Amino acid sequence: MDFFDFFTDPVLRGPTLGCMLMCLAAALSGVIIFLRKQSLLGESLSHAAYPGVILGAVFGGSFGLQDDNDLRISIAAMVGAFLSALAGLYCIRFLEKKLRVKSDSALCLILSTFFGIGLTLASHVQFSHSGIYRQIQAYLFGQAATMTDVHIQIYSILAIVIILTLCFFYKELQTMTFDPQYAKSLGIPVNRIESLILFLVVLAIVIGIRSVGVVLMSAMLIIPAISARQFSHHLPSLFILAAIIGVCSGFLGNFLSILGSSTMEQAYPGLRLSLPTGPSIVLVASSICLFALLFAPERGVLTRLIRIALFRYHCLCENMLKTIWRIDANGDVSLQEIAKYQGASHWYLKWILNMLSKRGWLIKRDSSTYQLTHEGRLWAAKIVRLHRLWEVYLANYLGVGAERVHRNAEEMEHIITPELEQELTLLLNNPQLDPHHQPIPPKEAL
Amino acid sequence: MDSATYLNPYSTKTFFPFFLELLARLWAFFTGNLSFNQLASDEIQILVLSGVAASSAIVGTFLVLRKMTMLANSLSHTILLGIVLAYLATKSSSLVQDGHQGTLNIQAMLLASLGMGFVTTFLTESLTKYARLQEDASTGLVFTSLFALGIVLVTILTRNAHVGTEAVMGNVDALQLEDCKLVYIVFAINFVCLLLFFKELQLTTFDPNLARSLGFSTVFFSYLIMAQVAITSVSAFRAVGVLMVLAFITGPPLTARLLTHNLKKMIGIAIAIGCGASVTGVALSRHLLTAYGIALTTGGLTVCVITAFYLSAIFLSRNSRHKINYNNCN
Repeated sequence: MDFFDFFTDPVLRGPTLGCMLMCLAAALSGVIIFLRKQSLLGESLSHAAYPGVILGAVFGGSFGLQDDNDLRISIAAMVGAFLSALAGLYCIRFLEKKLRVKSDSALCLILSTFFGIGLTLASHVQFSHSGIYRQIQAYLFGQAATMTDVHIQIYSILAIVIILTLCFFYKELQTMTFDPQYAKSLGIPVNRIESLILFLVVLAIVIGIRSVGVVLMSAMLIIPAISARQFSHHLPSLFILAAIIGVCSGFLGNFLSILGSSTMEQAYPGLRLSLPTGPSIVLVASSICLFALLFAPERGVLTRLIRIALFRYHCLCENMLKTIWRIDANGDVSLQEIAKYQGASHWYLKWILNMLSKRGWLIKRDSSTYQLTHEGRLWAAKIVRLHRLWEVYLANYLGVGAERVHRNAEEMEHIITPELEQELTLLLNNPQLDPHHQPIPPKEAL
Repeated sequence: MDSATYLNPYSTKTFFPFFLELLARLWAFFTGNLSFNQLASDEIQILVLSGVAASSAIVGTFLVLRKMTMLANSLSHTILLGIVLAYLATKSSSLVQDGHQGTLNIQAMLLASLGMGFVTTFLTESLTKYARLQEDASTGLVFTSLFALGIVLVTILTRNAHVGTEAVMGNVDALQLEDCKLVYIVFAINFVCLLLFFKELQLTTFDPNLARSLGFSTVFFSYLIMAQVAITSVSAFRAVGVLMVLAFITGPPLTARLLTHNLKKMIGIAIAIGCGASVTGVALSRHLLTAYGIALTTGGLTVCVITAFYLSAIFLSRNSRHKINYNNCN
């Protein structure tokens, strides 16, 4: 299978494009409900669509038995899904507003009762229309494999509707999402836009349940949005990133499903096994999301940890240089003397000292004595200068008592940039002594 | 189980004769004319569903009051992965011993569900804390991903595409007397926890700040409830699957909430409604089969009955509210 086969081969292109379109629509409308903190609404609405799928499919299947029966069933199922998801939405609203049921209970109740009703209907259909039952089963976990070009046309139209609506109402959506009060004061019809958002979500669900299935549909609404959020906090790029991530996971998920199914077919022929598309797409999407959560440049958990560790290491190196400089800037300093001033363990200190000598700031005299090089001396003097400059600034300009300035300066000395140093020197009139009457190493010597 | 070999006494009963027969057989049971392993499949269904309903009502009441029902949603999804992993872990030994690999032993099921419950809560909380995700998003992310993993593993390992479907739908009709054991062990655990910690649960539910100032650990009790949810969903897994158990957890407590304001009464009513719905569900399923020849899934029907109870409770409470308003006007 070539990469382009997925888009040109008449059998493969249906499922591939279908999954991609579906993920595109879901990712776009998912961004809104993610930002509005309604991520679990999608879960309820997608399950609420299930009874509609069954009723629609049976309704569509009951008209004659021509060749295009399959298509009619899936269109009727889509319409049914749409209506029953809307009914679910209405019920949730009714429970919340009229009966003052808490939102989580309302979502949970509607999810499970609609799904229960759906299963009851399905168990009936199983015996009365067993042909249709097999098609309905595909809507549980998604079965993209049977999609054809006609499906793609319908899905493209629906996806385009979603994209156009988003573009058209972009400003209103933006204002509503981040500041509903302000939106109201601007005269934006808040209620109508809110219904519009929910309408979009329902539409995305209707597109999606064929390829991802009702059970896992909610994942595809929020996972691309979560992943995109790790990389950006700018709304337009959030939409674009979520769309890209969604489309990629749609493609890869479908690919994984095809691959898994054919492998299992070869391994156990005759069992008619297949890897459902829904779980594969969700697994791909959540792997992308996991990667984003761990390694995103700014917000990623691991990147943050690494940044913190690097900064600690940097601070410790500088502190070490400073200590040696203070003990004896020109002579030999033994490890025992350094250890008196540093809390870290001997092995760690030794390692840091080795790293410092590798960077050319220290010379190792023998097993446990060290001497600063010229560069090391300069660097240490610079840190001490920053430390003492900051102490002067705190004491003179912020009125902090001289006995309390040291601790803060101990942290700031690693943070102050050269530009800031220049500003401080100008502002403080190039002082010679710090509040403790210690000399500040002059700038010219550095 | 030899119920298949002799005639099911309920086989041609409609709705009301079903109850008559049930009462007659209960009488026979208590007078000692009917032994425990002569139970018909309908009775096993009633037993299992009522047990599940009672456990869910106890746990669900606190979940509804604490606004934590979505926890039940995510746990019931993720225990599928737990069950798959437990199956993997015990598969080799059970294959050697007795050759039947379909059922897991009860300890493995309970341990798997508890472990998965902790993993799910831990992952959700650490995503909220360390990755700074909002809570609804981290819940949605964790349980859908783990559930997808569970489905894929189930399909690959059991080499049977039907298992995944059954995990979602449950299969009341395939229940055996063996399944009662797990259900009632779980119910016993839930009931003992309720008796032991009723005051603490009440306090931490309604006034967590007061509870904390009195020295009760709110964290401990939320973990206790989490553990209870996990074992309750695993006990419901075979009967009603991962999704319909949510109807058992939220439906009866919400119905009871409409009828009373007292916590003890609420739990009692919720249990009664759950069990009543289970019996009615089984009877209804039998009735439809006998009278119209329609075979419907009993679990789904029970959920429908729970919904019907809730709707009628809404009408009841609305009418009484109107009456109060009317009296006030006069």
